[in-house]
Order: sequence, then C-alpha cells, then structure tokens
Amino acid sequence: MTDCVHRDPATPSPFLDGDPEREHLRPASQRRTFLKVAGAGGAALTFSAALGGERAAASTVRPKTWNRAYVLVVDGCRPDEIGSGLMPNLRALRDGGYDFPQGRSLPIMETIPNHVMMMTGVRPDRNGVPANSIYDRALGEERTLELPSDLKATTLMTLARKHGMTAGSVLSKEYLYGIFGRNATYRWEPGPIVPVSGHAPDAFTMNAALSIVEEFDPHLVFVNLGDVDRVGHTDLTGGLSLELLRRTALIATDLQVKRFVDMLKATGRWEKSMVVVLADHSMDWSLPHKVVSLTSPLGADPVVRGKFAIAQNGGANLVYWTGPASQRQAGIDRIVAIAKAQSGVLGVYDRARVPSLRLGANAGDVVVYCRAGWRFSDPHVLANPIPGNHGHPTTEPIPFFLAGGHPAIPRGKSSPLAATTVDVTPTVARFLGLPFPTGKWAWDGRSLLN
Amino acid sequence: MGVTQDSAADAARPDASDASDPSSEDRLRLPAVQRRTVLTGTAVAGAAVLAADPFATDDAGAAAASPYFLHGVASGDPLPDRVVLWTRVTPQRDATPGSGRGGNVTVEWQVSTDTRFKHIAARGTYRTGAAADHTVKIDATGLKPGTSYVYRFLFYGFPSPVGRTRTAPAPTAAPARLRFGVVSCANLQAGYFHAYRHLAQRNDLDAIVHLGDYLYEYAPGEYGLGQDNVDVRRHVPAREMVTLADYRQRHAQYKQDPDLQWLHSKYPFIVTWDDHESTNDAWRDGAENHQSATEGDWASRRARALRAYDEWMPVRMNSTAALGDGTRLFRSLRFGRLAELSMLDLRTYRDEQVTYPVVDARVSDPNRTITGRAQMDWLKAAVASTQVQWKLVGNPVMIAPVTFLQLPTALLDPVNDVTHLLPRDGSPYNVDQWDGYTDDRRELFSHIRDRGIRDTVFVTGDIHSGWAADLPYDVATYPLGRSAGVEFVASSVTSNNLKDILGAPPRTASLAVETAIKVANRHVRYLDFDSHGYSVLDVTSARVQMDWYVTGPREQRLAGSTHAASFQTLAGTNTISRAAGPVGGN
Repeated sequence: MTDCVHRDPATPSPFLDGDPEREHLRPASQRRTFLKVAGAGGAALTFSAALGGERAAASTVRPKTWNRAYVLVVDGCRPDEIGSGLMPNLRALRDGGYDFPQGRSLPIMETIPNHVMMMTGVRPDRNGVPANSIYDRALGEERTLELPSDLKATTLMTLARKHGMTAGSVLSKEYLYGIFGRNATYRWEPGPIVPVSGHAPDAFTMNAALSIVEEFDPHLVFVNLGDVDRVGHTDLTGGLSLELLRRTALIATDLQVKRFVDMLKATGRWEKSMVVVLADHSMDWSLPHKVVSLTSPLGADPVVRGKFAIAQNGGANLVYWTGPASQRQAGIDRIVAIAKAQSGVLGVYDRARVPSLRLGANAGDVVVYCRAGWRFSDPHVLANPIPGNHGHPTTEPIPFFLAGGHPAIPRGKSSPLAATTVDVTPTVARFLGLPFPTGKWAWDGRSLLN
Repeated sequence: MGVTQDSAADAARPDASDASDPSSEDRLRLPAVQRRTVLTGTAVAGAAVLAADPFATDDAGAAAASPYFLHGVASGDPLPDRVVLWTRVTPQRDATPGSGRGGNVTVEWQVSTDTRFKHIAARGTYRTGAAADHTVKIDATGLKPGTSYVYRFLFYGFPSPVGRTRTAPAPTAAPARLRFGVVSCANLQAGYFHAYRHLAQRNDLDAIVHLGDYLYEYAPGEYGLGQDNVDVRRHVPAREMVTLADYRQRHAQYKQDPDLQWLHSKYPFIVTWDDHESTNDAWRDGAENHQSATEGDWASRRARALRAYDEWMPVRMNSTAALGDGTRLFRSLRFGRLAELSMLDLRTYRDEQVTYPVVDARVSDPNRTITGRAQMDWLKAAVASTQVQWKLVGNPVMIAPVTFLQLPTALLDPVNDVTHLLPRDGSPYNVDQWDGYTDDRRELFSHIRDRGIRDTVFVTGDIHSGWAADLPYDVATYPLGRSAGVEFVASSVTSNNLKDILGAPPRTASLAVETAIKVANRHVRYLDFDSHGYSVLDVTSARVQMDWYVTGPREQRLAGSTHAASFQTLAGTNTISRAAGPVGGN
C-alpha cells in the first residue's frame, strides 16, 4: 500500500526531527535556523530557515519585483469537484481567473513526482523522481522517494533564492517536506501529523501558510493541502459513487482556501499576487474485488520467477527486472505479456521503448496501468485495502487555474490549451521575472502567462 | 424567447421557383452549349440569385447567376489550408441530372478575399462530364487558416452564384469561439426547409453540421406531412430512388431548394449520412426498405447511393475531393486547439438491427458492432487527443441509453412511428441506435473513463426530436456516479415528429411521453418531441452550448423561427446544465 506513503507512526521520518535541540548534529552546511512565530490560531508555529535566510533576507540582493506567487495544491482534487457546489470559494476563484480545463497530471500520477515537476519544470527523466515509490536497486528494496538527494534538478525555490528572492514551503505531507529539503528559504515542518496518513490536517497547514506569508512575506510560497487526498484514499463509499467522506473534505478544504484569499485581500497583497491553484493528481475509487495483483502471475512464470521486483503506486505498478542482464529483454517481454493478460490492466509499457513516458531509469523496466475502478495490490490481493487510488490515466485530469489580483492575471478567461504540472515553474518564473534556463537546462514546461 | 420572422427582403428574394414545380425549368431560356452570346437579358435575370450578400456588401452576390449553374454552389469540410468547393454545371438544356447526356466540359473556379474577385487566392479548372453527372468538386488548396473567402465558378466566362466559405483555424490557434448550425432529417415531401433559411439569415456561424437524412428515398405519397402523409412537395423522380439516375435526380431536386441553396452558398457544410441517403434502416448488408427481389442486390444499390452522394455533396471521402476513390466518410476536422469534430458513419459497417430486443441478447453481443472495428479504433484515438479541448462527435444516431419502460402503452405505437424507437411488442429500447449495439458503447465509454477523457460532446440527429442528456457510466445509479460526456440531439428540419403522428396540437399529448421518459431516464435533461427546426452549437473553452430553435408550419412557404431552449456543458463537468439564453443571432 504505497499509493501514498502511510508511515508507521512508530518510525519517525529522518527528515522530521524538527527538534532544534538536535540541529547541532547536522553538518554546518546543512544547519537551519528555527524561527518561532505566532500562528493564525494563536499557537506558536516553528519554521526552519536556511542559514542566512532568516529575517535577514534583506541582506541579499533586493529583487526587482513586488509580485508575489502562491502555489496552492489541493492534493488529489478532481476538476469536476470544483464546480460540484461543495467548493464555492474555489469555484469563484476559478471563474474569476484564468482557467485551464485541460489541466493534467503527468506520469506517474502520484503526489511526489508531480510536486517535483511543479517545482522543477522538468519531467522525471531529468529530475529523477518518477513515482512515490520505487525499487531501489542499490538497497534491494522498495522505498519512498523522499530524500533530498533523490531530487536531481534545480527547483524554482532555489532559483528564486539565487536571484535574491525568498521562498516558503508549507507542505502537509512528510515525504514532501523530506524531498524538498532546504530548497525554500522558510519551511514549515508539518504537524501535528495524523497517524497512518502521515500528513498534517489542512487547518494546521493553512495556519502555517497564513503565518509564513504574513510574517516573512516570501516572493513564492508552495502549499500542499492534503486532506482531500487523504480522506479520499480512505473513503469506503467512493466505490459506490457516494464519496461521503470525501465530500466533507471538499467543503472543509474550500474554506481553508477562502482563509488564504481573505488574508491576501485583507493585507493588501491580493493586487500584487498570482495564486496558482491545481492538484497533483485526481482520484479514483475501486471496490475490494477490483484488484490486480501481479506478484502471483509473475511468480508463477518460469522465466520471471524470482527475477523481478514491484514498486506499487496505487493505479500504477512499476516492475523491475532483477535477473541477469543477459536475460533482461526476454524477461521484460515476458513481464509485459503476463501483465497484459490480467483483468483490470489498461496498459503495459516497456519503459525504455516508450520514451514519451519521460520517466527515466528510476521507474524500472515495465510500467503497468490499471483501468478506472481498479487498483493494484501487491504482493497479494489483500495488501492494498485502500479504496481511493491514483497513478493510472483516469486520474490525470486536475483542476488548474491562475487567480489573483495582479493585472497580469486574465480575468474570467478559459484556455483550451493543455496545462500540466510541469508548467508551474515557468509560469511562476515569468510572473516573478526570473530568467528561463536555456539549452539542455531548458524547462520542459511552458509559461501559461503570455 | 427570441423570435425571428422572415424579413421582407427574405420573402422578396428571387427564390419563387419551387424545385418540384415542373414549370420552373420551362421559364429558363437555357442556351445551347457554347452559345455564350445568348446568356444575357432574360436568361440571366430569370435565374435565381442565390448567394445573397455573402460578405454583407452590395457587391457580393450581385454577379448574376447563370443558368449554367442551376443547382447552386456549396463548400464543405474546411481545413486550415483548404476547403471543398462544389457545383453542378448544366452545359446544355438536356444535360439534366441523371440523364447521362452532355459532353465533357471544363469549368473554371476562383477563390477570392474580396467580393469583386480582384484578389484571387486560388483558382483552377475542373473537367467534368456525364460520368460525374456534370458535378464539379474540387479541393481549393493554398488558403490561409481562419480566413473568410468568396468563391465562384465560371463556364465560358459566365459566373455561378457567389458562395462564401471559411477555412478552419490553424492547428495551433486557440480561437475564442466556434459556432455551428446543426441540422438533420430534411424530408422535402414533408414541408419547406425553414430551418435552412433561418440559419442562412444568420451571419455568426462558422459552418453547418448536417447529421444525416439530408434527403429521403421515398416515392410521393409514402412519407409526407403528418398522419395522412400529405406531400407538401413531391419527390422527383416520382418513385423510390433505387437506380443511379434516381439518386442523382433526387440530389438535384434537393439542391434546387432555394433555402438549402442559400445556406449552402453561405456556409461550409460538414456532413455525414444516416440511412435515408441510401434507404431506411440501412446496415452493412441490407436495409429495412430494400427488397432484393425487386430492387436488386444491396451492395449495388448502396454503391449507387454512395456514388451519387460523392458526386453531389461537398465532402471529402477517403480524405479527398476526388470522385470514386473510396467511400470512407468518417473523418475528423480540427478547429485549432479549441475543438475537433469527428463525423461518424454508423450505417456502412453496422450489423443488422435485432428484431426483438427484449428476448434477443444480441443487443449486447461483443461481436456485433455499429461502428466497425476500424472506425471504433479511429474514434477512440480521436477522443483521446490532448491536442484539442472539446471532442465533438457528429453522431447520426443517439448514443445516450434510453429506456421506454414507463411509457404509456397507448403511446408506444406513435412514438415508434416517429422515431422508429420501439418494435410493436413494446420493447423498451431503440435498437437502431447505440442501444442496439451496447458493447460498442461500453467499449467507447470505458475508454473515455479509463483515459480520464473530458469534454466529449456528441451532437446527434436522426430521431426528429430535441434532447439533451448526460451519458452516465451506470444508468441504474445515476445521478450517483459520473458521466462519459453529454449528448445534444437536434430536431428534424421537416420529418414528422410525435405530435404530427398523433395529430395533436404542439405541447399537448407529447408532454406525457416526455415526462415519462425523463422520469425513467434521469440523465435526460431536455426532451422536445414536438418541434421541427434547427440548433446552434456554440463552443468556447469554458463551455459548449446548444440552442434549439423551433420553426413554424412546414406546409407554409415561409414561417418564422422561435428560440425554444438552451443547454450547456461546462468544461470538465461532463454533465448538462441549463444555459442563460441563446447566443448571437446576427
């Protein structure tokens, strides 16, 4: 069950020490400054800041823009949910801004890779992060891509800092906080963490977002709101098309977004702001009997048996050939054939032969997608009891729109052009006046602003 | 409710010659071929000036029509760099359609950006003759995307009426709006084509989408107006069209209808056929209205129907305007990044309709098809495109699942007479629609769901009634669950509907039927079983809206048009909602 990582609460993340008392254990170059500010709810919030990035940000080169960009990720939100009547504030924000009805997540339609694409502007074959979960050949086991060293590309937050700006990250999920490391000038360490789900509730996340904006006023703030996704994963009524729990989460998260917009307007920031609202992926629900388990049929095959590993990503399985290199292509061909024969499988791709996937070697050798209304469950059919999943193509559509009071943001417009998560970086860079890299460093995405 | 009436100018247009009036040809003083000097005075004045005001200037259309071009001009299938241009030349008096008479002749064509034809954008010549029934059909290439043009034909220097057309936007363009007229089911014997005239009066359309039953095969007295089958106008030839000459003459008769001529001259058409272009309830190897014993084998008859269609319609078959090089009619036309229109052919490849759907499990047999394998694969690829936002599907027969289980027994027969929906045993499904081929629909809808495809809109004709419906994945639980897209169904131009069959006043008896159907089918948001008319489909990135217009009495030469309803689907929703009001109109 690695669709989204659900951490054992007894095993704290190595990146969530969050304890100023332990900071001295870090190498000097990685040491952080802890800043305590009064939160929106009255409680004190702790942010970490890169050395030199604390309130003395004024010591860096003063940037030439007053613009402020906020990227709000409503994790796992479906585009049709914005107009469902349950999210009136998000709908008003969309209808008053610049909407991209062709907004789409990119493979693998999981949280970590799409957040990384948002902040790097390049696809996984260049940023090194194709999925939430991969099989680490060096470790010989499946693991979550949550290490700062997993991220191989320069982030927008780092770029902003290089040009004298400040960036903030308010990411509700532990692994997002982990992989982005110290990219932001100011970082909120999510908490309190909900056991099992591994995320901080939106109310706390929004408290932090409000505080980081009001206290530090970064040029760029990257916010992940995790409730819609987390509740969606566990909503047992989803497979029956009821989505009862999910609907309550939509209402609650919509109110949190309203708090953010209200703050921008109340503090005079709205007129210089662009608010990018999108999801990292969508959500699909399945009933317990609609599961695909590849371990058993692959294990039963004499060519493949004992020579494969699976990294499960909800609606997508990444299969790795672990046998002798001399048998690799034959083994991959066999894996493809076996996977195609399973009920509920939508598509099977020999990754190296489908370069358009842009996933890179970390994604293994074979990418397998399930159909809508199905999920993967490995190593056995009971291993993934989560009804809500993503990662497969039906979860590609996402809400994606630009809002804000800055005159550069079109009002009440809709564009037929495709918009993907990889477009966030160039769009924000254009808005903030950051330079676009060229040549082999050029972004894969494009600015959605003219 | 917006109401438009035929203007005085419209009524005064020189369209008085009824296509079925045998005296109309006598009024023409057709010259002998090559006697150009005769083409003055009364001959020219007597011909209809059809392309009135193509660019809203006094110059346009002023070029007097020549009796060499009695069937008007037309354009179709606009692409960014080309458009099909069509006419028929009558080089000599007796070279009538289907006659096989008349030698080979050369016709010149011109495309211009100005109505005086000072700036020629493209030109050429076309050789035609009796083998092509003297039709002229060319692909005018080298044009600029998203550009309005006028065009004309010349025969020995004498011009045809001037037509207006417009190319599609460039593939990478993001047009703010597209607007189409939508029509289907125009039976000449059942009345006058008010819908065509009212669409021609508009100046805000990009093209006309014709979803089939452009013409009907019946003999006089077989399928006219109302309960008594009154022939408002009589078909020519006066028999069911079966031979090649029959099909050609019937096409020629329709092409002489002044309202249709006007609309053809004003906008490019994007057409597909349904069954009546060949004969009723056609399928791959036969048709309900084909009797092999007296009408020969079906394959030959269909080939003749196809040939006449290829000759007489401004459409590319097998991707070309050339005649006789193939019969593939399903095709896509792209309009920048905003929309792609995929026109289906649901008659050529389908299996035979089942007879008793309640007891015949073949309606869901995976081996039966309405599209054929190649067309299904093509359609699935088309709707999966990420290059365009709106995937519009020109769909000859309804795809929305509809059950008639709760229909009052007394109304089953009339409903069936109108729409061919139900066998007389009261079976609750229309097996001539996608409901009779449910595995094809399942495959297409599953594809849409599996791939996360949004913004698919089926635009449909065929059943002589107006509908707006969601397309649920699971009809049983809807509106719980989600929808694959939406369907907008245009009513008929003239073909009989429910009130016509019942002999009831509009919006009386049909209301019970409509209510019963909507109760049993919660995904049906709008249904009008009574009205004739046309629709306007308006496409923006934010939504697609369909406006339904109702036209007046079919038996009257001129009648008004009234806006009846407007529904829309907002981007990303795959569901229908009511729209505030109709779009444009000028």
